[in-house]
Amino acid sequence: MAQEEVIAQLPAFEDEYQFNIDETVNEIDFINDDENLDNLFFHRVDSAQIVYQPRRRRAKLIGKYLMGEMLGEGSYGKVKEVLDTEMLCRRAVKILKRKKLRKIPNGEDNVRREIKFLKRLHHHNVIQLVDVLTNDEKQKMYMVMEYCVSELQEMLESVPDKKFPIMQAHFYFCQLINGLEYLHSMGIIHKDIKPGNLLLATDETLKITDLGVAEALEPFAVDDTCRTSQGSPAFQPPEIANGLETFAGFKVDVWSAGVTLYNITTGTYPFEGDNIYKLFECIGKGEYKIPDSVDQLLASLIKGMLEFDPKKRFTIEQIRKHDWFRKKHPVLLEWVRLPPKSKDDEDIYRSMTVLGYLEDLHFGTPSEDEFDEQLVPETIDITNQITPAEDGVTVENSETMDTKGKPSKEMKPKKRKKGASRFGFGSCKQS
Amino acid sequence: MPLFGKSQKNPQELVKGLKDALQTLQNPSKDKDLKKASDDVTKILANMKVMLYGTAGSDPQPENVAQLSMEIYQGEVLKMMVENLEKIDFEGRKDVVQIFNNLLRRQIGTRSPTVEYICTRKDVLIALMKGYETPEVALNCGMMLRECCRYEALAKLMLNSEEFYDFFRYVELSTFDIASDAFSTFKELLIKHKMLSAEFLENNYDQVFHNYQSLLNSENYVTRRQALKLLGELLLDRHNFTTMTKYISNPDNLKLMMNMLREKSRNIQFEAFHVFKVFVANPNKPKPILEILLRNKEKLVDFLAKFHTDRSEDEQFNDEKAYLIKQIKDLKAPEES
Repeated sequence: MAQEEVIAQLPAFEDEYQFNIDETVNEIDFINDDENLDNLFFHRVDSAQIVYQPRRRRAKLIGKYLMGEMLGEGSYGKVKEVLDTEMLCRRAVKILKRKKLRKIPNGEDNVRREIKFLKRLHHHNVIQLVDVLTNDEKQKMYMVMEYCVSELQEMLESVPDKKFPIMQAHFYFCQLINGLEYLHSMGIIHKDIKPGNLLLATDETLKITDLGVAEALEPFAVDDTCRTSQGSPAFQPPEIANGLETFAGFKVDVWSAGVTLYNITTGTYPFEGDNIYKLFECIGKGEYKIPDSVDQLLASLIKGMLEFDPKKRFTIEQIRKHDWFRKKHPVLLEWVRLPPKSKDDEDIYRSMTVLGYLEDLHFGTPSEDEFDEQLVPETIDITNQITPAEDGVTVENSETMDTKGKPSKEMKPKKRKKGASRFGFGSCKQS
Repeated sequence: MPLFGKSQKNPQELVKGLKDALQTLQNPSKDKDLKKASDDVTKILANMKVMLYGTAGSDPQPENVAQLSMEIYQGEVLKMMVENLEKIDFEGRKDVVQIFNNLLRRQIGTRSPTVEYICTRKDVLIALMKGYETPEVALNCGMMLRECCRYEALAKLMLNSEEFYDFFRYVELSTFDIASDAFSTFKELLIKHKMLSAEFLENNYDQVFHNYQSLLNSENYVTRRQALKLLGELLLDRHNFTTMTKYISNPDNLKLMMNMLREKSRNIQFEAFHVFKVFVANPNKPKPILEILLRNKEKLVDFLAKFHTDRSEDEQFNDEKAYLIKQIKDLKAPEES
């Protein structure tokens, strides 16, 4: 006890030597009431990362797409924002590395199948695949898709009770059903409907994504019988949890949509378990409770969608005709807005991250060692670009000194031209 | 009575004024009255629109909206507005569309009062569909019809009316914008409510496809191409499985598609391919279909091998084409039993 107190009282910079990276997070949290400790993290960053690799926005083009910042990361690879430099359209690109794909069971097959499906799907509630590019040398594949700002899961996690106000949940749910109906009409069973696979476009149009484990019915199959499922366990229906040989595919999606509806309106899951066996045992029994806070109308829709017997379970058509679906819900609580990307990010609108790269593409000063002939168009004459810009800055500096460090507004655009150094915040050399 | 006074007229007055003015337009007695009545209609419609939509500075007042809709239902004004649309001036027509669509979207809890109201006044829908016959109001009617299409109950009434079959005529009208507007309404009716249209197509198969045939044989390139594309969409929608099976069992349909594969237009060839493939992919081909395919086996294989070879980018198309060629090559005459 006494020893721990002593540690807590020690000045932050001395702690640095006692708490190595391999110490558990909890122990750091334990003494984290001391604000000075925040500095600790700065001290611990490997200096090589900061000093020798100044963060620069290097323009990188993949085909006609100019790369922006990372939007997210999945098991398959990164997703980045890009700009279509011909159409000037904001897009997202899923970068798939063959090396990574091989490690995932059915990884390559799933991707190939997803691309095949997406190519023939055109609906505003299903993500649109715009382009597929491959780089055999780097063993990479790029899936260019519609740009989406967020996903339902991220929005849910940003609020304390992890749920949406009824009106907002209804708004998303209706779109989910529209998208699902379309998928089913095209003979596609998604099999992995969950808030994490529902994206939102900038106008809050919901887009069903990730058809990696989806299945297309044979065009002449008489019904929707399926045999396999690899979807997320918590969203699987009893017939799958109980390991039935065959099951009706469309009803699987209805069930998952039901769990999704339960989740976005209550902030909890109908079925839970410490591990997949317990979870499946729980789902297999099909017993769950609807919280009292859920009104009767919604409860009856959820019950219809989470009906144990797939034959009795609602069809998309029945969902559509349900009163909760058709009802105009009153605005009672505040709409959940897009959360900021990170705590200190002030850009609540998530504006385009390609801008900096775009500037670099047209006005940038590539340094020799990083210059990638393949990616940066060779036609840009580097020397001609630098000279006037450098001149501008020199003049500007002398003027700035005259006005005692208060740069006038007119100078700002000039300063921008200087290329690399305008993003100097990552470099320690300058400070 | 000044129409644009400081004090706004209340819903009752507006509706009464509109009814009177419309009646004058309907049965003109003196020439003088006509001009004034027409101006009145335009002004009242503009006022009604403001009452329903509000203005830039102020939101619409719920009590006014509720009262106005009540008055409109009770006074049978929707029907009057639609039937006299031709006599209302340009701006007024646009306002009618906006008023109509706003009322239609009105919802109280799970109820849509205007939709329920129109369900009992089928003649409003009929009048709207007939609107395609009057070029001046065709597009206005089209906008209202498509709003109606969003509601299954109304779509059902329209599909099951005799007037639905007039669409087969409207989509071929010589005025291009009206024909395309009619086509989009027609398409919406057949696509929007999957179960409804599946049921409709099944129950009215003969009548619908007899008429549809004339679209596919149309002199008009646009009609032919659009109709063919829609046919492909309808047949490949799983909701229409029964209809699809029926369609691909008819040898005449196969012959038509085979002829369309050889059309001059590449776009039509391509669309025809997507219907043709269903005939070939069918694992249970009826005898007449099989016979036609067998008779043309060699020719078809040759033809498909050379068919749109420049579409090398389109993987799905090439896969499907390769599949069809294989299927046709493997075709065997059924053993005589």
